[in-house]
Amino acid sequence: MSTKEPTEADILRPINTLTTKYFALYGAAALGLVAFLIAWAYQLQQGLIVTGLGDWGSGGGSTWGLYIGAFIWWVGVAHGGIILSAAVRLLGMDRYMPVARLAEMTTIGGLSAAGFYILVHMGRPDRMVTSVIGHYHITVNNSPLVWDVTVITAYFVLSATYLGLTLRYDVNRLRDDLPDMFEPVYKIMTIGYTEKEDQVIQRMVWWLAAAVIIMAPLLLHGGVIPWLFALLPAMPGWTGAIQGPMFLSIALMSAISGIMIISYAFRRAYDWDHIITDDIFRGLLLWLGFFTLLFLWFQLQTIINGVFLGPTNKAIAIEAKIGHPVYQVAMTMIFGTLVYIFLQGIRPALFNKKRALIASGIILTGTLTEKILFVVEGFLHPTFDIYANTPGTYFPSAIEWLSLVGTVGLVALLFLNLSKLVPVVELHAIEHLRGDHEHSEEATEPEVEA
Amino acid sequence: MSTDDESFHPLGDEWEDELETMLDDTEYDSDLGMEMAQDAMRVTKGELSEAEFHERHHEAVMEEFGEDERPTKEAYEAAQEEASGTVSNMLGAFDGDGDETRRETMKKMGVGAAAVGLGAFGTASDGPEESLAAGDGPRQETTEESPTDTQWGMTIDLERCDGCLTCMTACTQENSLDDGVNWMYVMAWEDENNDSPEGGNGLSESGAYTDFNMGSEFNMLVRPCQHCTDAPCEKVCPTTARHTRDKDGLVLTDYDVCIGCRYCQVACPYGVNYFQWDEPSTDYSDLDESHTMGDYEYGERWVDSRAPRGVMSKCTMCPSRQDGTQGEEKVGTSACEDACPPGAIQFGNVNDEKSDPYQHREHPTKSRAVVHLTNSIESSKSAPSPDDIDSALSEGDDVETAIEKIDGLSDNSSFTEDQLAIMKAIDILSEGLEPGDEENNSILRNEQNILASVEAIQQYVDLESDEALEALQLGDGSEQEAKFRLHQYTGKPSSFQLLEDIGTNPNVTYLGQEPGPEAQQVDGPTSPEDVGLVDERQEVLDNETVGGVDGVSL
Repeated sequence: MSTKEPTEADILRPINTLTTKYFALYGAAALGLVAFLIAWAYQLQQGLIVTGLGDWGSGGGSTWGLYIGAFIWWVGVAHGGIILSAAVRLLGMDRYMPVARLAEMTTIGGLSAAGFYILVHMGRPDRMVTSVIGHYHITVNNSPLVWDVTVITAYFVLSATYLGLTLRYDVNRLRDDLPDMFEPVYKIMTIGYTEKEDQVIQRMVWWLAAAVIIMAPLLLHGGVIPWLFALLPAMPGWTGAIQGPMFLSIALMSAISGIMIISYAFRRAYDWDHIITDDIFRGLLLWLGFFTLLFLWFQLQTIINGVFLGPTNKAIAIEAKIGHPVYQVAMTMIFGTLVYIFLQGIRPALFNKKRALIASGIILTGTLTEKILFVVEGFLHPTFDIYANTPGTYFPSAIEWLSLVGTVGLVALLFLNLSKLVPVVELHAIEHLRGDHEHSEEATEPEVEA
Repeated sequence: MSTDDESFHPLGDEWEDELETMLDDTEYDSDLGMEMAQDAMRVTKGELSEAEFHERHHEAVMEEFGEDERPTKEAYEAAQEEASGTVSNMLGAFDGDGDETRRETMKKMGVGAAAVGLGAFGTASDGPEESLAAGDGPRQETTEESPTDTQWGMTIDLERCDGCLTCMTACTQENSLDDGVNWMYVMAWEDENNDSPEGGNGLSESGAYTDFNMGSEFNMLVRPCQHCTDAPCEKVCPTTARHTRDKDGLVLTDYDVCIGCRYCQVACPYGVNYFQWDEPSTDYSDLDESHTMGDYEYGERWVDSRAPRGVMSKCTMCPSRQDGTQGEEKVGTSACEDACPPGAIQFGNVNDEKSDPYQHREHPTKSRAVVHLTNSIESSKSAPSPDDIDSALSEGDDVETAIEKIDGLSDNSSFTEDQLAIMKAIDILSEGLEPGDEENNSILRNEQNILASVEAIQQYVDLESDEALEALQLGDGSEQEAKFRLHQYTGKPSSFQLLEDIGTNPNVTYLGQEPGPEAQQVDGPTSPEDVGLVDERQEVLDNETVGGVDGVSL
């Protein structure tokens, strides 16, 4: 661990520097997004026929595919992000304070990407407002897709509020060192700020965090998102109460991995070894291992339930699932990563940040693969499995693959832009690392040296 | 839904009271608000024109608000200018297209009604009659749908289906469907207990048309949309585009509202939905307008014929026929039913005991015999008409001579003891129910024809005599014996509904063998390609996929 003292100048560095590498990254991200926007425009012009999707049943296709798989994956990243950040604030896990804001920004980015996917996936996105909002009072009573849009909106508002409130403290204190170019933005962000509000904001943020933690299993990735699938009675690949916990575990795995990758990038770019410390990576990696273990356990439960005397439809669906090479590859990747995390827990010498980064990449790839396959699986082996053309065929088209590049570009752009506007590491975190934080009365997780 | 609830608003009394309270809290006149809202609903139903609506409350609104900027102002002014024309002319005058106007009006009135505190929702909810006064009483419990309500549906005789796929082509034609969009889908199948012969050789070679036949050696499944009473597709729809019509229980898609999320297709256990992935091959201008609109309590919605790009479609059970826009004679029929050569598909109001699906479901053996003897394609087995009988028979003929004489009437058709026996058995078992005149009750009508023929024969031959009954193998002529005779001839089918345990309450009932959970589709007697249909739509869709990888699939 570095012995350098973290300073305000450290967290201001991203805002006040402008490097070629930054421009290169910005250009690449923008290119990815624009490329997909063009592809999407083509899709709008030609119709969804440009995708690899089709009609399940006699049609021999898959109704949903990569778009929905990536949608739930991004929502997972977002939900996991806000849960992490909330846990840091609520449970006083001060060790992770330096990455809390990155987690919140990941949530905003993930939700933006997910929201974008909703539009991309639709046959008539132009009717979103008239058809969905216009009948909201009726459809909210029974359509899981409407619940979904509702909670995503709610969490977007919640996360943005959360982020906005905590930024007021930082922006006000660091105002003199922030670029004048964005003066109007800072003015709006700190409107009516007085130092007296700090205590109040702390409380508000605590309550927001409490809301997030309580609602996560009920409404977020443990509830509404899996219900999109789990409540449908005729698709045995999806049905079942296990999907709630399963989705939640995937969300947390994806979010932790995502945050590790983003943290790694910032630490490398701005020499933040003393802020986003090795200790944080070790801790995050252990948490990743914990949720990966849960995920594999849930998978095991699902499989045993299907293959050991399952009812016909369930048995067929599960047997097909475990026999699917894509599933086997995804699970092997995830299991291998778990083994590494376990081993480096026993022998700390096996840990290094690069390996943690690779582990994160593997988990993200694994969860995305699992999500896409999960969506398609439902259509491959439905209860009404009589059609000769079922299981149908589906492979994402170039445009669908490009959407992944586009949304990653979108989230990267969000970070690149935000990092020039506001500190991505909280001032509180710096104060805490220096030991001059005011709210020392809060309980903190003991820092364990690995 | 109940008609006891006398609120004018589709969401009922309670909602109305709530809104009235909200109006009371404002400084404006609540009575005026409620009156206007009520009239606004009438406009959406087409009972009142926009201009009339505007005029009716114009003075009161001016008095209360000092201005009248309701969305109907335009219509009112147009009406003032063209005071000489009829109402429809006036509406046409500012919109150009009279038919579009009513839908437009509906939208505007939605805004208009909302402006006074009540949303006039274009939903398919019940729209009971006016009186506001009744709103004072306690809220009446809505009662369950009474069995006399219209519910279109089908009874499909799978043993009668010979897999000719005529219904599929008829549906495709009627609705201008794209290749592979098989709203009606017919398949042969087999499972552990039920084999199907090698298919694809055409009807003659595959062993179809064995006497009564019941189609062929194949196990068939005919799969239109089930028009479920508890439709999962409707439940999950985020827009109400997928909806059940109150008046007749059809589950339809409003093509103007659907956002193309495809959740209905995901939730449907039967796989009956087909998305319009690209521009349909038949242009909108080539569609018959009477075939695109459905009649609704609150105006017209586009629910029939092929879907436009980006929205979901499925079997509609021909709502424009049921609404009478294709002529009264087509009410109570569907394109597939009309086309089905052996009469395997019986469409109608499944709640009406006189309807074809009801008769076929409740009296399968007798109805089968009736269909068999009166079906046009099986003219070789048809029951003779009373006139023919009169011309052929003479007083004192015995059963054998009578059969011979009738048989001699035509070279094309034969008449056997079996046929006469079946006719007499139908006569014994008939409840004498008359066909209704509001829809197409072909089974009862044909039964009446058979009864008339039996009556005609009995004028010459005593079919009730012991010898006659013996010759016809009808035992003592009891109902029991008659039933037994029919069973021998037409079989005694079991009935089922598809995936009953999922709780969708489908409105299609099948007669015949239910496919087991591991049943698999096999080649049928006629291949879709032979009749110009595409079976696997993905083959068509894959042609337009951008950068798809051939032969690779998840």
